[in-house]
Amino acid sequence: MEQERFDIWMMEYLSNSLDVKGEKEFERFLQDHPEYQKQFGEMQRTWGQVDITSVPEPSEAMDKRFFDMLHSEIEKTKASENSLPSWFSRITTVLWRPQMAYGILLLVLGLNLGYFLNSDSPSEVVKTTVADNSEAEGVRQQLVLTLLKQPSANERLQGINEATKIKEIDETVIKALLQTLNSDSNVNVRLAAIESLTNYLDHPTVREGLVQSIVKQDSPIVQVTLASLMVALQEKKSIESFKTLMRTQELDQSVKQKLETSINSII
Amino acid sequence: MQQLTDNALMLKVKSGDLDKLGLLYERHKKRLFGFFYNMNGNPSISEDLVQNVFIRMLRYRHTFTGEGSFAAWMFRTARNINYDHYRKHKKEANQAGLTSLEYRLEDEHGLENKMEEKDKISQLNRAMQLLTPEKREVLILSKYKEIKFSEIGEILGCSEGAAKVKAHRALKDLRTIFLQLEM
Repeated sequence: MEQERFDIWMMEYLSNSLDVKGEKEFERFLQDHPEYQKQFGEMQRTWGQVDITSVPEPSEAMDKRFFDMLHSEIEKTKASENSLPSWFSRITTVLWRPQMAYGILLLVLGLNLGYFLNSDSPSEVVKTTVADNSEAEGVRQQLVLTLLKQPSANERLQGINEATKIKEIDETVIKALLQTLNSDSNVNVRLAAIESLTNYLDHPTVREGLVQSIVKQDSPIVQVTLASLMVALQEKKSIESFKTLMRTQELDQSVKQKLETSINSII
Repeated sequence: MQQLTDNALMLKVKSGDLDKLGLLYERHKKRLFGFFYNMNGNPSISEDLVQNVFIRMLRYRHTFTGEGSFAAWMFRTARNINYDHYRKHKKEANQAGLTSLEYRLEDEHGLENKMEEKDKISQLNRAMQLLTPEKREVLILSKYKEIKFSEIGEILGCSEGAAKVKAHRALKDLRTIFLQLEM
């Protein structure tokens, strides 16, 4: 028998890799071939002496370190998953204050009223575009740009909604969204623009634009929303903008407090 | 069945259910600790390396495909970690071999009788430490009853047959070193 074949067979026998039939066959082979018995005997002895089981028990400290590491990893993952939604929940807490709640109620009523008064269909250009090329990315961007210029707040909201469906956003659309955030007369549209822009935070223009927009806001809800977003993003550049805002504008007391807390959290 | 369950657990970890790594840790910590301890003979370093294996599993969980056995994937990671450690602490490792030997002897038998047996074990342990890390590693892996040669091949990046040949050569070298020490 070829030596290497015997070596492999012997290893299979020693490591219990053979089934009962295979083991018997190997033992029979050894009985019939005494010339292999000696080398098998030597190897078997050495194999038997290799003891990998005499290992001390790992300490409890190892378990503790592992579970500490695992828990901190789980916390980290949860924190990164929740970082964006959490600023929305913080906003909700602020919004539950009575003045804010009345403000929102009035806005919702105003929006509905506007919707019913303006329920005549959007311009022909918009309609045609939607019908012809609803799936094409380029057309969608055009649609967004067109909708954002519409006089009806409802259509502008629709435009922002379309913008969130764009996978690879164009610089022009980003600028249009930032323009809406800075100058739209409707607070709801501005809030929707912020929400839409948060989908493209990797884009440097978006972050920069959001920071610059802080000083241009006069609505408490938008100010608070931006403050919460900046805290979630830990955007240090925003600190200066908040300070400028506090210096230059007569702010609502709760907004002022919120901005101060935000500045401290970012620092 | 255990293999399937291990794979299923790791796939859960991959999909974000990180808690499940705790179960895998409980199942394999002793085997991994044993692997490192047999490789370097130092209990405290072995504990650190076990921790590193699980940290790396978390970091590279996206690379786990579920094809092949979990044990093979885990030991491949363990092997890389051991190499990294060995490379970084080459000098210390040589010295640790001797101190760990003493540790092991006291740990297993105390300072009682059975001097002859102790001598033999001591010599075999020294022989193990004198083997190249690659040979020591294949011997340790082939000693685990739960790991098949096909998996050892997967861990070492070679065929099942080549893994058996490697194991045989390592055993033969061990015997030669052992006999030289006896002289």
